[in-house]
This record gives sequence, structure tokens and C-alpha cells, in this order.
Amino acid sequence: MEMGDKDKFELEKRSDNHINYHSPDSMPSDWRYSSANVANSSLGLVSTDNQMPVCRGDLVGVSSCSSASMVDSFSPGQWDHPTNSQYLGFCDISVQNNASTSNPMGIRKGGPASLRTGLDKTLDIGWNPPSSMLKGGIFLPTAPGVLPQSLSQFPEDSAFIERAASGLKSLSVVQGQKNVMNMGDSSRDTSLSVEHVAIEGSPLKNEKKSGSLVRSHDEAKQGVGGSGNESEEAEFSGGGRQDKPSKLEGNGGEQSAKSPASKKRKRNGQDADLDQAKGTQQSVEAAKDNPEVQQKGDENPTSTPIKATGKQCKLGSQASDPPKEEYIHVRARRGQATNSHSLAERVRREKISERMKFLQDLVPGCSKVTGKAVMLDEIINYVQSLQRQVEFLSMKLATVNPRLDFNTEGLLAKDILHSRAVSSSTLAFSAEVPMVYPPFNASQPGFIQASFPGMESHSDMLRRAINSQLTPMTGGFKETTQLPNAWDDELHNVVQMGYVTCAPQDSQDINGSLPPGHMKAEL
Amino acid sequence: MNPHHHSSYLNPNSLKSRFTKNFLRSLIKINKQTPFPCRPTEMFQRCHKVKTAADKSLACAVGSRRVWSRAMLCKIRNRALRRGPQKPPSVRRIIINNRTMKKGFNCLKEKMNDDQEAGIDQTSKLRKLVPGGEAMDLCNLLDEAAHYIKCLNTQVQVMRSIADFYST
Repeated sequence: MEMGDKDKFELEKRSDNHINYHSPDSMPSDWRYSSANVANSSLGLVSTDNQMPVCRGDLVGVSSCSSASMVDSFSPGQWDHPTNSQYLGFCDISVQNNASTSNPMGIRKGGPASLRTGLDKTLDIGWNPPSSMLKGGIFLPTAPGVLPQSLSQFPEDSAFIERAASGLKSLSVVQGQKNVMNMGDSSRDTSLSVEHVAIEGSPLKNEKKSGSLVRSHDEAKQGVGGSGNESEEAEFSGGGRQDKPSKLEGNGGEQSAKSPASKKRKRNGQDADLDQAKGTQQSVEAAKDNPEVQQKGDENPTSTPIKATGKQCKLGSQASDPPKEEYIHVRARRGQATNSHSLAERVRREKISERMKFLQDLVPGCSKVTGKAVMLDEIINYVQSLQRQVEFLSMKLATVNPRLDFNTEGLLAKDILHSRAVSSSTLAFSAEVPMVYPPFNASQPGFIQASFPGMESHSDMLRRAINSQLTPMTGGFKETTQLPNAWDDELHNVVQMGYVTCAPQDSQDINGSLPPGHMKAEL
Repeated sequence: MNPHHHSSYLNPNSLKSRFTKNFLRSLIKINKQTPFPCRPTEMFQRCHKVKTAADKSLACAVGSRRVWSRAMLCKIRNRALRRGPQKPPSVRRIIINNRTMKKGFNCLKEKMNDDQEAGIDQTSKLRKLVPGGEAMDLCNLLDEAAHYIKCLNTQVQVMRSIADFYST
């Protein structure tokens, strides 16, 4: 049942992403908050009492108080950590205290940022302990009774807060869940699970923009992603960051705020509103967090960028599927700068490389070419050669077509064009194409002559091409071959006009290989 | 291009068929208008006419969907207006200039980046080759270039087959 709740939370989180956790959530939120309250009071970290009761109220009903709004803001995050739900509140609270002061984490909806961040953090972090507790069946809607037990566990996990703050590197909710499940039973497990839970929460939180945890999330994520092991995760989360919870909280809040902020900003926008709201708030944080986050990003090994990003993307994509807003949403990859400018640049560069690949397919003989400069050269050459061919052909047509008066011409031509038969006639010039392309620097007047010498060298190619193409054509073309015969007299005139200084050459070249029906040979 | 070939064969409304129709029509018109040229100058004029007809029919076949086709059409029309009989002032010319100017302002920054990225010479060369390429950023320029290459291929194929048909 606990798992069922967790699963539900997860699903909700994925589907909604935002604050839409209503009734089903409200329950957990209740006990979460209550636990948070208890934690607060017991830990004496933050007087969240005022907030908590309010938070208890409707998650969605933000208006009641800032804390409530905060609840909304982080509720999705909380939901991410199904296991965490209640108990993370503890950690969050502790973190929150520090964070609230130091970190102006703007949460979703307006309200006092500090409070929100604090709550967010506490709630986010609070997930860690609950895992074990949940297992133990402590997880109850009536939080107050439950809290003491959970609280009792806290002192045991002195490093809990550390981990909670730092360790919310969530690989994935699923993973975290698994971890939680496995770990939940022992107190030791709690610490581990906390970390794992934290880990789980992080991607979700990132979306939400939780404060301090985000940074730790990032690191944890990266660390976890690399290891892919629960144990490793635990270690990483535990040792990874920090030994100074307070520092963590402060830093984490800012950094996490920033990294998720950037991610969230670029993220597939689950909520345009949220994004906007976040954006304004984040901008403040972003300024501070940028350098920190970037440093972190750089520090963190990019060993498993794929893994980490894959998991993140999984969550993200799930969350963001519904609305593809007008923004272009990009997720920052691991180890890459999360500056908005650089992200946009990266998107642009990817687009350009995509188009270059497409062009590579279009331009013949460019499959082996790598690099933009060479590719562009090839493209330019090809376009120039095509344009020259058009000119040449138009010249040819200008000289060749005295007899286009017949009404049937168009029809015949169209039939011919649209049937494969026509290609046979084009074969005579197919040799020109390779000739044209390479020696395109030949001057225009000399163009025709220049093509001739080359043609012989390409005669083999031409023959091959002709043979390959003629076989399918011969079947369908009997009609067309007859037509040219009727035009012989006129054609002689045309030929004499001299168009085809090249035609005779062509025919000579291809004489041997052309089928008898090909008029060129006869000419 | 095989898939294109098949599709154009089967599809009566494909680019190829549209272009063929337009081009043949204009070729017939040219042949009717001027007698067969005897002198080289007339021949050159005729060549130029045929080439313009080919470009115009290709651009018309593509329509206004692409930047390069629009730019090509405008260029041809402006040329015709400049050379031809006195016609009312070319509103089209003005419109085109506005469009390109706007685009130019917007993507000036991107163009500078593009040049740095891909080589100044090459991008400028490509811009000159592709009609309407002056006012586009690299991303769109590559897009337009790809489509332009495709259409040029079609044009060359059709023209070649026509020439072959009429030369045999």
C-alpha cells in the first residue's frame, strides 16, 4: 500500500508535473506537513509550524499562505519521491532553515521566497528518512503520531542531513524507489534510502526547482548515473558532497536552484506558467548560481552522461509530454554549460549539423566528407555545376526546338518524361554530368568542347549506365523509339543548325553501347 | 533520387510534372514568338529566354513556399520590369526589399556567427548561389540550399530529357 501510494505519486508526478496533485496528494501532504511540523519543532530548526498547518491544507489551494503555495510548488517534487513523502520533510526543514536564510529560492508562486525554499527543501529532503519509515508502516495519514518515530531515526542519521542535502541526486524515481524498498528496513538502510530517495527526488525536484537540493541532485545524479549502483549511489551521495550540511544547504540551495533552474528553464515546459514564474525567480538565483553550477557541472565527471541524462530525460520527457509550448525546450546535458545562451547555441549547432547531414545525402559523393568547410565546398561546387548544366541545357534547347508547335508535343513529352523511357535519352548526356561537375572551371564558351575529351574517359561509365538503364526501358519504349524516326527529316535540319556539335560526338562515343533504337547513334 | 523519381512518376501533381508543364508551355511560347534565330545574337537572346523560362517555371512550380523560389520570382519580375515596357512601379520590388531588410537585421548577428563557424567565404558563396540567400541565417540557408538542389536536379533532368527527345 505504501508502494501503491508511492506509485501513485510517481504517476501523478509524471503526468502532471505540477501542482496538480490534489486529493490523493493531499493525504500524503498532510502527513508530510505534519511530520515536517513535528520535525521542525523537534529539531528546532525552523519554525515551520506556522507554515505547516497551512500547508496541510489543500495543496492546490495556494492562496491560503505562502507555505501553502510552497507546498504546491514542491508538492510535485515530493510526489516524485513517493517514499520520501513524509519524512523528507524533516531534512527539508533542517535544510530549509539554512537555506531560507541564505538561499532565496524562488518557488513557484510568489510568496516569501525564503519560506518557500525552506519548505521546499525541507520537504524535498524530508523524503529520505521516510523510506525506511514507510516500510516500517509508519507512514500514516495521521502524521503526528508517526513523526516521533521518524524523528527518532533522525538522530541516528547524523549524516542524514548531509546526505539529504547533498544526496538528492536522483537518478530516477524508479531507481530510487527500488533503492528505498531495499533499504528501507534497517536504520542504516534509511540513510542509504534517504540518499536514494533524495536521488529520486532530485530529478523531479529539478523540475520543480527545489532549492538547495537541486545542486546536490545534480551531483548525485551524476555520481549515481555513473555508478548505477545503489551502493555506489549511497556512497556518492553520502560522501559526495559535503560534510557541512549547513554549507550544503546554503550552497546546495543556490546551486541546485541554479542548475535545476537552468534545466527547468530550458526544460520541456511542463508548465508555461511555471516556467515563467520560475524564470523570474530563477533569474535572480541564476546569476549567483551560474558560476557555481557551471563549476559543478565541470567538476562532475561526465562518465555517464548518457545514463544520467537518459534517466533525467525519461522523467523529463514524461513530465513534459503534454505541453510542448512555444519555447524550444532543451535539456542541458551532463557536463555541459547550462547557460541559456550556450544552450541556445547548442540547439542551433545541432540544427545546422542535422541539415549538413541531409545535404550530404543530396550531394553525390559526399558521404565520406567530414567537416563543415569541406562539405560546404562540395555543396557550392555542386550547386554551381547544376546551374551550369541548366544554362547549357537551355542553350541546347534554344537551338534544338524549332518544332515545338505541335499540340501533341506537350503530351508526348510529358508521357516521355514521366515514363522511365526518357532516361535512356538522357544517358547520352549522363556522361556530361561528371564531366561538368569536376571541370566546372572551364569557361562557358569552351564548355561544350571541354566536355568531349572527358567523355571518352567516362565512356565506360556511360556504357554501364546505359546498359543498366536500358534494360528496363527497352520494354516500355518501343513507342517512343518510333516517334523520333518520324522526325528524322526535321532533325536533320536541326542537326545542321549545329546544335549539336556534341551530339555527333556523343553518338560516336556511345555508338557501340547504344541500342539500335537510339537515334543518336544513327545521326 | 530514386524514390523521388518513382514518386514523381506516379504523382501527377509533383514538382516534376508541374515544372514540365510550365516549361513546355513557355518553350512553345518562345518558339511561337520568335522565328528560329539565324544569327548568334538572336541565338543568345533565345538562350537567355529559354533559361529564364526554365527558372521561372521552376520557381512557379515550387510556389511561394520557399524563400529561394520567391526570391527568384521577384528577381525575374524585376528584371522584366526593368527591361520591359513601362509598367506601373514595381510594388513587388519594394516588398521584397523590405522583407530582405527585415530578415537581414534580425539575422545579422547569426550571420556573423555562421561565418565564423563555417567559413566566411563559403557561406557567402552559398548565399550568392542560392537565390534569396543573402538574408538568411545559416540554418535556413542550408535548408533552402537543400531544397534548391533538389529542384535543380529535377530541372536538369526534365530539361535534359526534353532536349534529348527533341534532338533525336
